[in-house]
Amino acid sequence: MSDATLKSSSASFPSLVTLLRAEPLLWLIAAIIVTGAVTSEYYLTGQNIENLLRSVSVFGLLALGMTVVMLTGRIDLSVAATMIFSIVVGVKVMVLLGDGLGLRWLVKGNTYAGPSLPFLAIAIVTGCAVGAVNGIGIAYFRIAPFIMTLVSLTALRGFNYVLTDGHPYYLRSPVFAFIGDQVVLGIPFSTLVFLAVLVALILFVNGTVAGSRFYAIGGSERAALYAGIRTERFVVLAYMISGFCAALAGILFTARLKSVDAPLASGYELTAIAIAVIGGTALSGGVGSPWRTLLGSLVFASGLNLLAIWGIGTWYQNLIVGTVLIAAVALSRIGRPRASS
Amino acid sequence: MSAVDDTHAARSAPAIRHPAPFRAQIGGLSRIAILLLLVLTAQLVTPSFLAPANLQVILMAVAAIGVMAIGMTLVVIAGEIDLSIAGVAILACVLGGILIPTGSPVLVIGVTLLTGLVLGLINGILVAGLRIPSLIATLGMLGIARALANIASGGQALYPESIGPYVWLGRGTLLGLPVPVLILLVLTVLAIALTRFSIFGQALYATGGNVKAARLSGINVAAVRIAVFMLCGFCAALAGMLDSARLSYINPSGFEGIELSVLAVTVLGGAALSGGKGTITGTLVAALIIGVVNNLLNQLGVSIYLQQVAIAAVILAVVLPDALKRGTGK
Repeated sequence: MSDATLKSSSASFPSLVTLLRAEPLLWLIAAIIVTGAVTSEYYLTGQNIENLLRSVSVFGLLALGMTVVMLTGRIDLSVAATMIFSIVVGVKVMVLLGDGLGLRWLVKGNTYAGPSLPFLAIAIVTGCAVGAVNGIGIAYFRIAPFIMTLVSLTALRGFNYVLTDGHPYYLRSPVFAFIGDQVVLGIPFSTLVFLAVLVALILFVNGTVAGSRFYAIGGSERAALYAGIRTERFVVLAYMISGFCAALAGILFTARLKSVDAPLASGYELTAIAIAVIGGTALSGGVGSPWRTLLGSLVFASGLNLLAIWGIGTWYQNLIVGTVLIAAVALSRIGRPRASS
Repeated sequence: MSAVDDTHAARSAPAIRHPAPFRAQIGGLSRIAILLLLVLTAQLVTPSFLAPANLQVILMAVAAIGVMAIGMTLVVIAGEIDLSIAGVAILACVLGGILIPTGSPVLVIGVTLLTGLVLGLINGILVAGLRIPSLIATLGMLGIARALANIASGGQALYPESIGPYVWLGRGTLLGLPVPVLILLVLTVLAIALTRFSIFGQALYATGGNVKAARLSGINVAAVRIAVFMLCGFCAALAGMLDSARLSYINPSGFEGIELSVLAVTVLGGAALSGGKGTITGTLVAALIIGVVNNLLNQLGVSIYLQQVAIAAVILAVVLPDALKRGTGK
C-alpha cells in the first residue's frame, strides 16, 4: 500500500490538468459552487463568500492538525476542547498577571480589556502544551491515542467550566476586531491565517525529510522504528501541531464571536475527523495530505453553506452531512482493489 | 493489504490473544480492589454511604450507562467502535414514543427495541458489508439518527406517562430492586454467558484478536460484526428507554456526548480498542467505579464540572499501569 501512497502524496503542487484528473474532490467543489450560483442569487455575493471562507478557516485549521495526527495512524479527540481551553487559559493568566501588576484587566460585565498580543501568545502556548501532554502520554506512556485524547477532552471541558464559572468572557480590543472582522483584498484575515498555516504544513509535511517521517510512522510504525526514526518524538510533534492548530482555530473563532464560553465548539472534533476523512486521510495512518484536507474542508463548508442558503433546516443539514460522510467513504473504498478484510 | 488489516496487524502486534488471559484476570482483580478501596474510602468520608438508600441511588445512576456499556463492550471486543449509541437511543425512543397515542405498551416498547436492532443492523452492514471503518460509519449514523429523531418529533419532547408498563421500566420495583437495576443485572448475566460460555463468544474474541486467523478457521467474521452492532443497538435503545421512562420524558436532544462516557467506562473496564480483549465483568466494575466516584463527589458537594476532571484522572490512573506494562507502540 505505502508505495503508491507515498508517491501520490508527495506530489503536492501538480499542474492544473493533472490536478483536475487526480482530485475528484475539485469536481465536487466546482459542482457545488455552480449549483449554488445557478440556484441562488446570493451564493456568489461577497458577504456569502466571506462567511464561507471564515467557516473554512476554523474547521480547516482543526482538520489540518487532525490530518497530521491521523497520518501517524493516531487520532486527537481533544481538539475542540483545546480550542476553547487555550482561550480561557489566556484570559485567566492575563487577568492574574494584571492583578499582580495592580491592573484590572477584567472590567465590568466580564469583559477582558487587557493587552491582546501576550494573551494570544499564551493561548498558542497553551494549545501546544496540551498537544505535548497528549503526545507524551501516547508516545512515551503508551496510552492508546483514543483514550488519552478522550481523557483530555473530558478533563479540558471540565476545566473550561470550572475556570469560567460557566459565564462567558467578552473579548473587546482592536486586535480581536481585526482578526475576526478585517477583510484584506477581499479575503477575511482569518482565512489568510489559515492559508499561511496550510502552506507551512504542506511545505513541512510534503517537502521535508522530517515531514515524510509522519507518513513512514503511519505506514508501518515498526519499519519506521527499525529504520532509526525516533518515532516517539514525531508523535509528540504531531500532537503539538494539532494543539497549535486548535489554539489558532480558537483564536479565529472567538475573535469573530468577541467572546468565549465553556460549551462552545462542542462536537467540533468529530467534524474535524469527518473533514480529514472526506479529504482522503486514512484512519489507519500513512495516507492523506494537508492539501487534500483543504479540499475536504472546502467541500464540507461549501456544501453546508449551500444547504443553508437554500433554507434547509439544521436537522436536515445534519442528515445530509451524515449520509454524505458515509457515502464518500463507501465510494472511496469501492475504487480500491478488494482486499482480504 | 487493506487499511483495516494494517491497523490490526500493527496494533495487535505480538499476535495471538486468548480470551481473558491470565494478566487480564489480574487486571480485573485490581479493578475490583480499586472499587472496594473507593467504597471503603467513601464510607469513611461519608458515614451514610453504605446506607441502602444511597446504594440504590448509585445503582440507578449506573443502570442506563451500564446497559449501554455492555453493548459497547461487545463491539469493542470485536475490534470495532460504535459512536452512534446516543443517536440510536434517541431515535428508538422517539419512534416508539410517536406510538404513545395508540395506548399499546407492546407497540411502544416493541418499536423502540426493534428500532435499536434495525439501526444496529444498518451499522453492521455498513461496517461488515461495505467495509467502511466503524468510526466513520457510526459517526455518520450518530448524525443521521439524531437528525431523524428531531425531524420525526418536530423537536418536541414526548411524554410516556400514559403507558403504565413503560413508566414501570424506569420507576417500578421487582423483588425489592428497582427495575432498571434488575435489567442491568439480567443483561450482565446474559452477556457473561454469551461471551464466556458460548461458541459466539469464542468467535467474538477470535474476530477481534486476529481477523485473518478467525476467517481462516472458518468463522463468519461479517456475521459476528453485524451481530455485535445489533446487540449494541438493542442495548442503546433499551438504555434510552430506561432513562426516558425514569424521567417520563423522551427528549429528542438528550444523551449528548454519552458515547464518549460509555467508551470511557468500557476502556476503564479493560477492553482494548484494538479488539480481542475485554470482559463484561470488567465493564460492570468500571461502571460501578464511576458511579461510586460520582456519588462520593456529589455528597462532598464537588461541582459536576470538577467531577468530570476527576473522572478523567481516574481513567488515566487505571489505564496507565496497563499501558506501561504492554510496552508496544500505538
